[in-house]
Amino acid sequence: MAAFASLEYQTVALIPPGKAHLRDSTQDAARALDAFLASVERKAFRIAQIALRHEADALDVVQDAMMQLSSRYGSRPAAEWKPLFYRILENRIRDVQRRRSVRGRVMSYLPWRNDDDEDIADPIEQAADHSPQPPAQLEADEAMKVLEQAITALPERQRQAFLLRNFEGLDVAETAASMKCSQGSVKTHYFRAVQALRSKLGDFRT
Amino acid sequence: MNGDPIEDGSSDFERRTRALLLQSADELPGAVRSRLTQARYAAVAAPAARGSSLALRWLPAGAAAAAMMALLVMYVPLGKSTMENPVTNAGFEDIEMLTDTDAVPLSGDQEVDYDFYEWAAAEAGDGGAAPSVGS
Repeated sequence: MAAFASLEYQTVALIPPGKAHLRDSTQDAARALDAFLASVERKAFRIAQIALRHEADALDVVQDAMMQLSSRYGSRPAAEWKPLFYRILENRIRDVQRRRSVRGRVMSYLPWRNDDDEDIADPIEQAADHSPQPPAQLEADEAMKVLEQAITALPERQRQAFLLRNFEGLDVAETAASMKCSQGSVKTHYFRAVQALRSKLGDFRT
Repeated sequence: MNGDPIEDGSSDFERRTRALLLQSADELPGAVRSRLTQARYAAVAAPAARGSSLALRWLPAGAAAAAMMALLVMYVPLGKSTMENPVTNAGFEDIEMLTDTDAVPLSGDQEVDYDFYEWAAAEAGDGGAAPSVGS
Protein backbone atom coordinates (compact mmCIF):
# COMPACT_ATOMS: atom_id res chain seq x y z
CA MET A 1 0.00 0.00 0.00
CA ALA A 2 2.98 2.27 0.55
CA ALA A 3 3.75 2.19 -3.15
CA PHE A 4 0.14 2.93 -4.03
CA ALA A 5 0.17 5.87 -1.63
CA SER A 6 3.26 7.17 -3.39
CA LEU A 7 1.59 6.89 -6.81
CA GLU A 8 -1.49 8.57 -5.49
CA TYR A 9 0.69 11.40 -4.23
CA GLN A 10 2.30 11.77 -7.67
CA THR A 11 -1.10 11.96 -9.31
CA VAL A 12 -2.58 14.38 -6.83
CA ALA A 13 0.51 16.61 -6.75
CA LEU A 14 -0.31 17.85 -10.26
CA ILE A 15 -3.63 19.33 -9.16
CA PRO A 16 -3.64 22.97 -7.95
CA PRO A 17 -4.36 23.41 -4.23
CA GLY A 18 -7.61 25.30 -4.88
CA LYS A 19 -9.17 22.41 -6.81
CA ALA A 20 -9.94 20.09 -3.92
CA HIS A 21 -12.90 18.45 -5.65
CA LEU A 22 -10.68 17.49 -8.60
CA ARG A 23 -8.12 16.10 -6.21
CA ASP A 24 -10.73 13.92 -4.49
CA SER A 25 -12.13 12.62 -7.77
CA THR A 26 -8.64 11.85 -9.09
CA GLN A 27 -7.82 9.95 -5.91
CA ASP A 28 -11.06 8.00 -6.20
CA ALA A 29 -10.40 7.18 -9.87
CA ALA A 30 -6.84 6.01 -9.09
CA ARG A 31 -8.11 3.87 -6.22
CA ALA A 32 -10.86 2.36 -8.36
CA LEU A 33 -8.45 1.56 -11.19
CA ASP A 34 -5.96 0.03 -8.79
CA ALA A 35 -8.66 -2.12 -7.19
CA PHE A 36 -9.93 -3.24 -10.57
CA LEU A 37 -6.48 -4.18 -11.88
CA ALA A 38 -5.71 -6.00 -8.63
CA SER A 39 -8.89 -8.02 -9.05
CA VAL A 40 -8.04 -9.19 -12.57
CA GLU A 41 -4.25 -9.31 -12.74
CA ARG A 42 -3.73 -12.93 -11.67
CA LYS A 43 -6.48 -14.37 -13.81
CA ALA A 44 -5.33 -12.25 -16.74
CA PHE A 45 -1.81 -13.58 -16.29
CA ARG A 46 -3.02 -17.19 -16.22
CA ILE A 47 -5.15 -16.63 -19.33
CA ALA A 48 -2.15 -15.16 -21.16
CA GLN A 49 0.15 -17.89 -19.86
CA ILE A 50 -2.14 -20.66 -21.02
CA ALA A 51 -2.49 -19.04 -24.45
CA LEU A 52 1.18 -18.21 -24.93
CA ARG A 53 2.82 -20.96 -22.85
CA HIS A 54 5.54 -18.49 -21.87
CA GLU A 55 5.76 -16.71 -18.53
CA ALA A 56 7.72 -13.61 -19.62
CA ASP A 57 5.53 -13.04 -22.67
CA ALA A 58 2.43 -13.44 -20.52
CA LEU A 59 3.71 -10.84 -18.06
CA ASP A 60 4.49 -8.42 -20.90
CA VAL A 61 1.05 -8.89 -22.40
CA VAL A 62 -0.71 -8.25 -19.07
CA GLN A 63 1.42 -5.18 -18.45
CA ASP A 64 0.61 -3.79 -21.90
CA ALA A 65 -3.09 -4.39 -21.36
CA MET A 66 -3.00 -2.62 -17.99
CA MET A 67 -1.17 0.37 -19.44
CA GLN A 68 -3.50 0.66 -22.39
CA LEU A 69 -6.62 0.39 -20.26
CA SER A 70 -5.32 3.04 -17.90
CA SER A 71 -4.15 5.49 -20.53
CA ARG A 72 -6.98 5.10 -23.05
CA TYR A 73 -10.00 3.97 -21.11
CA GLY A 74 -9.24 5.02 -17.54
CA SER A 75 -11.81 7.80 -17.77
CA ARG A 76 -14.58 5.44 -18.90
CA PRO A 77 -17.11 4.13 -16.36
CA ALA A 78 -15.66 1.37 -14.19
CA ALA A 79 -18.40 -1.02 -15.30
CA GLU A 80 -16.90 -1.02 -18.81
CA TRP A 81 -13.37 -1.78 -17.71
CA LYS A 82 -13.57 -5.56 -17.52
CA PRO A 83 -14.75 -6.28 -21.10
CA LEU A 84 -12.38 -3.59 -22.39
CA PHE A 85 -9.45 -5.00 -20.45
CA TYR A 86 -9.99 -8.53 -21.70
CA ARG A 87 -10.50 -7.32 -25.26
CA ILE A 88 -7.13 -5.53 -25.08
CA LEU A 89 -5.57 -8.60 -23.48
CA GLU A 90 -6.83 -10.91 -26.23
CA ASN A 91 -5.57 -8.49 -28.89
CA ARG A 92 -2.12 -8.41 -27.29
CA ILE A 93 -2.07 -12.21 -27.06
CA ARG A 94 -2.94 -12.42 -30.76
CA ASP A 95 -0.19 -9.92 -31.59
CA VAL A 96 2.40 -12.05 -29.81
CA GLN A 97 1.16 -15.21 -31.51
CA ARG A 98 1.36 -13.54 -34.95
CA ARG A 99 4.83 -12.19 -34.22
CA ARG A 100 5.96 -15.66 -33.25
CA SER A 101 4.44 -17.12 -36.39
CA VAL A 102 6.24 -14.60 -38.63
CA ARG A 103 9.50 -15.05 -36.75
CA GLY A 104 9.18 -18.80 -37.05
CA ARG A 105 8.69 -18.58 -40.81
CA VAL A 106 11.65 -16.23 -41.24
CA MET A 107 13.91 -18.29 -39.01
CA SER A 108 13.06 -21.46 -40.91
CA TYR A 109 14.71 -19.95 -44.01
CA LEU A 110 17.95 -19.07 -42.23
CA PRO A 111 20.59 -21.79 -42.64
CA TRP A 112 22.65 -20.66 -39.63
CA ARG A 113 19.79 -20.61 -37.15
CA ASN A 114 20.45 -22.29 -33.88
CA ASP A 115 17.42 -23.57 -32.04
CA ASP A 116 19.40 -23.76 -28.85
CA ASP A 117 19.63 -19.97 -28.73
CA GLU A 118 15.96 -19.58 -27.91
CA ASP A 119 14.72 -19.69 -24.39
CA ILE A 120 17.80 -20.94 -22.65
CA ALA A 121 16.35 -22.16 -19.40
CA ASP A 122 17.83 -21.29 -16.06
CA PRO A 123 19.34 -24.58 -14.76
CA ILE A 124 18.44 -23.66 -11.19
CA GLU A 125 14.81 -23.11 -12.13
CA GLN A 126 14.81 -26.34 -14.10
CA ALA A 127 16.20 -28.41 -11.26
CA ALA A 128 13.73 -30.88 -9.83
CA ASP A 129 12.20 -29.95 -6.51
CA HIS A 130 12.84 -32.88 -4.18
CA SER A 131 11.16 -31.36 -1.16
CA PRO A 132 8.25 -33.46 0.03
CA GLN A 133 4.84 -32.20 -1.11
CA PRO A 134 1.48 -33.26 0.21
CA PRO A 135 -0.24 -35.81 -2.06
CA ALA A 136 -3.24 -33.52 -2.54
CA GLN A 137 -1.01 -30.77 -3.89
CA LEU A 138 0.71 -33.18 -6.25
CA GLU A 139 -2.64 -34.37 -7.52
CA ALA A 140 -3.84 -30.80 -8.02
CA ASP A 141 -0.65 -29.89 -9.86
CA GLU A 142 -0.99 -32.89 -12.12
CA ALA A 143 -4.66 -32.19 -12.77
CA MET A 144 -3.88 -28.55 -13.58
CA LYS A 145 -1.18 -29.64 -15.99
CA VAL A 146 -3.58 -31.94 -17.82
CA LEU A 147 -6.34 -29.32 -17.89
CA GLU A 148 -3.94 -26.65 -19.15
CA GLN A 149 -2.78 -28.87 -21.98
CA ALA A 150 -6.35 -29.60 -22.97
CA ILE A 151 -7.30 -25.90 -22.92
CA THR A 152 -4.23 -25.01 -24.95
CA ALA A 153 -5.26 -27.55 -27.58
CA LEU A 154 -8.67 -25.88 -28.06
CA PRO A 155 -9.29 -23.63 -31.08
CA GLU A 156 -8.59 -19.98 -30.25
CA ARG A 157 -12.21 -18.79 -30.02
CA GLN A 158 -13.25 -21.77 -27.89
CA ARG A 159 -10.29 -21.18 -25.58
CA GLN A 160 -11.22 -17.50 -25.22
CA ALA A 161 -14.88 -18.26 -24.55
CA PHE A 162 -14.06 -20.96 -22.02
CA LEU A 163 -11.52 -18.94 -20.04
CA LEU A 164 -13.51 -15.71 -20.04
CA ARG A 165 -16.76 -17.41 -19.07
CA ASN A 166 -15.59 -20.20 -16.82
CA PHE A 167 -12.40 -18.83 -15.26
CA GLU A 168 -12.92 -15.05 -15.23
CA GLY A 169 -16.66 -15.39 -14.73
CA LEU A 170 -17.76 -12.86 -17.34
CA ASP A 171 -21.41 -13.14 -18.32
CA VAL A 172 -22.42 -13.82 -21.91
CA ALA A 173 -22.78 -10.13 -22.82
CA GLU A 174 -19.40 -9.20 -21.33
CA THR A 175 -17.73 -12.15 -23.03
CA ALA A 176 -19.28 -11.14 -26.35
CA ALA A 177 -17.97 -7.58 -25.90
CA SER A 178 -14.50 -8.91 -25.07
CA MET A 179 -14.45 -11.27 -28.03
CA LYS A 180 -16.09 -8.79 -30.43
CA CYS A 181 -18.75 -11.29 -31.47
CA SER A 182 -22.43 -11.96 -30.87
CA GLN A 183 -23.79 -13.52 -27.70
CA GLY A 184 -24.96 -16.48 -29.76
CA SER A 185 -21.40 -17.09 -30.94
CA VAL A 186 -20.16 -16.96 -27.36
CA LYS A 187 -22.67 -19.63 -26.33
CA THR A 188 -21.69 -21.81 -29.27
CA HIS A 189 -17.94 -21.47 -28.67
CA TYR A 190 -18.35 -22.10 -24.98
CA PHE A 191 -20.57 -25.14 -25.45
CA ARG A 192 -18.13 -26.65 -27.94
CA ALA A 193 -15.18 -25.93 -25.65
CA VAL A 194 -16.84 -27.71 -22.72
CA GLN A 195 -17.76 -30.65 -24.94
CA ALA A 196 -14.20 -30.93 -26.26
CA LEU A 197 -12.65 -30.73 -22.80
CA ARG A 198 -15.09 -33.22 -21.35
CA SER A 199 -14.45 -35.71 -24.12
CA LYS A 200 -10.71 -35.35 -23.57
CA LEU A 201 -10.65 -35.30 -19.77
CA GLY A 202 -13.63 -37.47 -18.90
CA ASP A 203 -15.21 -36.73 -15.55
CA PHE A 204 -12.01 -35.02 -14.43
CA ARG A 205 -12.19 -35.88 -10.75
CA THR A 206 -9.54 -33.87 -8.91
CA MET B 1 -32.28 -20.86 -17.79
CA ASN B 2 -30.50 -17.58 -18.30
CA GLY B 3 -27.80 -18.96 -20.59
CA ASP B 4 -25.25 -18.88 -17.81
CA PRO B 5 -24.40 -22.47 -16.83
CA ILE B 6 -21.66 -21.32 -14.45
CA GLU B 7 -24.00 -19.24 -12.33
CA ASP B 8 -26.65 -21.94 -12.55
CA GLY B 9 -24.16 -24.48 -11.28
CA SER B 10 -25.56 -26.90 -13.81
CA SER B 11 -22.28 -28.63 -14.56
CA ASP B 12 -19.93 -30.26 -12.08
CA PHE B 13 -17.28 -30.46 -14.72
CA GLU B 14 -17.32 -26.69 -15.22
CA ARG B 15 -17.20 -26.01 -11.49
CA ARG B 16 -14.27 -28.38 -11.01
CA THR B 17 -12.27 -26.87 -13.84
CA ARG B 18 -13.05 -23.38 -12.56
CA ALA B 19 -11.90 -24.27 -9.05
CA LEU B 20 -8.67 -25.68 -10.39
CA LEU B 21 -7.96 -22.61 -12.53
CA LEU B 22 -8.71 -20.26 -9.63
CA GLN B 23 -6.39 -22.28 -7.39
CA SER B 24 -3.59 -21.98 -9.94
CA ALA B 25 -4.11 -18.19 -10.05
CA ASP B 26 -4.00 -17.97 -6.25
CA GLU B 27 -0.78 -19.96 -6.09
CA LEU B 28 1.32 -17.94 -8.50
CA PRO B 29 5.01 -17.68 -7.62
CA GLY B 30 6.09 -14.64 -5.63
CA ALA B 31 8.22 -13.28 -8.48
CA VAL B 32 5.23 -13.26 -10.82
CA ARG B 33 3.00 -11.62 -8.23
CA SER B 34 5.64 -8.98 -7.67
CA ARG B 35 5.90 -8.24 -11.41
CA LEU B 36 2.13 -7.97 -11.68
CA THR B 37 2.02 -5.55 -8.76
CA GLN B 38 4.73 -3.39 -10.35
CA ALA B 39 2.86 -3.39 -13.66
CA ARG B 40 -0.33 -2.33 -11.87
CA TYR B 41 1.38 0.56 -10.09
CA ALA B 42 2.91 1.70 -13.38
CA ALA B 43 -0.48 1.57 -15.09
CA VAL B 44 -2.22 3.54 -12.33
CA ALA B 45 0.53 6.17 -12.45
CA ALA B 46 0.51 6.37 -16.26
CA PRO B 47 -2.22 9.05 -16.70
CA ALA B 48 -0.53 11.36 -14.20
CA ALA B 49 2.87 10.85 -15.77
CA ARG B 50 1.39 11.48 -19.20
CA GLY B 51 -0.12 14.77 -18.06
CA SER B 52 3.08 16.02 -16.48
CA SER B 53 5.21 15.03 -19.46
CA LEU B 54 2.95 16.72 -22.00
CA ALA B 55 4.94 19.95 -21.88
CA LEU B 56 8.23 18.06 -22.09
CA ARG B 57 6.94 16.10 -25.06
CA TRP B 58 6.19 19.30 -27.01
CA LEU B 59 9.46 20.96 -26.03
CA PRO B 60 11.54 19.69 -29.02
CA ALA B 61 8.85 20.72 -31.51
CA GLY B 62 8.64 24.18 -29.96
CA ALA B 63 12.42 24.59 -30.06
CA ALA B 64 12.54 23.59 -33.72
CA ALA B 65 9.76 26.05 -34.59
CA ALA B 66 11.60 28.86 -32.76
CA ALA B 67 14.83 28.08 -34.62
CA MET B 68 13.02 28.19 -37.97
CA MET B 69 11.48 31.53 -37.05
CA ALA B 70 14.89 32.94 -36.11
CA LEU B 71 16.34 31.83 -39.44
CA LEU B 72 13.50 33.47 -41.34
CA VAL B 73 13.96 36.74 -39.44
CA MET B 74 17.70 36.74 -40.18
CA TYR B 75 17.41 36.09 -43.91
CA VAL B 76 14.34 38.21 -44.69
CA PRO B 77 14.89 41.79 -43.38
CA LEU B 78 11.87 43.17 -41.59
CA GLY B 79 10.04 46.09 -43.29
CA LYS B 80 11.11 45.14 -46.82
CA SER B 81 9.11 43.03 -49.10
CA THR B 82 10.74 40.29 -51.06
CA MET B 83 9.94 42.17 -54.31
CA GLU B 84 12.36 44.96 -53.32
CA ASN B 85 15.21 42.67 -52.47
CA PRO B 86 17.75 42.84 -55.36
CA VAL B 87 19.33 39.59 -54.37
CA THR B 88 16.11 37.61 -54.38
CA ASN B 89 14.88 39.28 -57.61
CA ALA B 90 18.11 38.92 -59.58
CA GLY B 91 17.20 35.52 -60.84
CA PHE B 92 13.95 36.70 -62.39
CA GLU B 93 15.66 39.65 -64.21
CA ASP B 94 18.33 37.38 -65.64
CA ILE B 95 15.72 34.99 -66.95
CA GLU B 96 13.78 37.86 -68.57
CA MET B 97 16.88 39.13 -70.38
CA LEU B 98 17.96 35.75 -71.59
CA THR B 99 14.54 34.85 -72.91
CA ASP B 100 13.90 38.25 -74.60
CA THR B 101 14.42 37.67 -78.34
CA ASP B 102 14.33 41.41 -79.13
CA ALA B 103 17.20 42.34 -76.86
CA VAL B 104 20.68 43.27 -78.14
CA PRO B 105 22.93 40.22 -77.97
CA LEU B 106 25.39 40.55 -75.09
CA SER B 107 27.85 38.05 -76.40
CA GLY B 108 29.04 36.96 -79.83
CA ASP B 109 31.22 39.96 -80.71
CA GLN B 110 31.99 38.37 -84.02
CA GLU B 111 28.48 39.32 -85.15
CA VAL B 112 29.03 43.10 -84.53
CA ASP B 113 30.11 44.98 -87.63
CA TYR B 114 32.63 47.42 -86.13
CA ASP B 115 33.61 48.71 -89.61
CA PHE B 116 30.09 49.91 -90.15
CA TYR B 117 30.04 51.83 -86.86
CA GLU B 118 33.44 53.47 -87.59
CA TRP B 119 32.28 54.48 -91.09
CA ALA B 120 29.03 55.87 -89.74
CA ALA B 121 30.91 57.89 -87.11
CA ALA B 122 33.29 59.28 -89.72
CA GLU B 123 30.39 60.20 -92.00
CA ALA B 124 28.69 62.04 -89.23
CA GLY B 125 31.96 63.82 -88.22
CA ASP B 126 33.26 65.28 -91.48
CA GLY B 127 29.96 65.75 -93.30
CA GLY B 128 30.26 63.22 -96.06
CA ALA B 129 34.08 62.92 -96.45
CA ALA B 130 35.52 59.60 -97.46
CA PRO B 131 35.76 57.19 -94.59
CA SER B 132 39.28 56.79 -93.18
CA VAL B 133 39.01 53.14 -92.27
CA GLY B 134 38.51 50.30 -94.65
CA SER B 135 38.25 52.50 -97.67
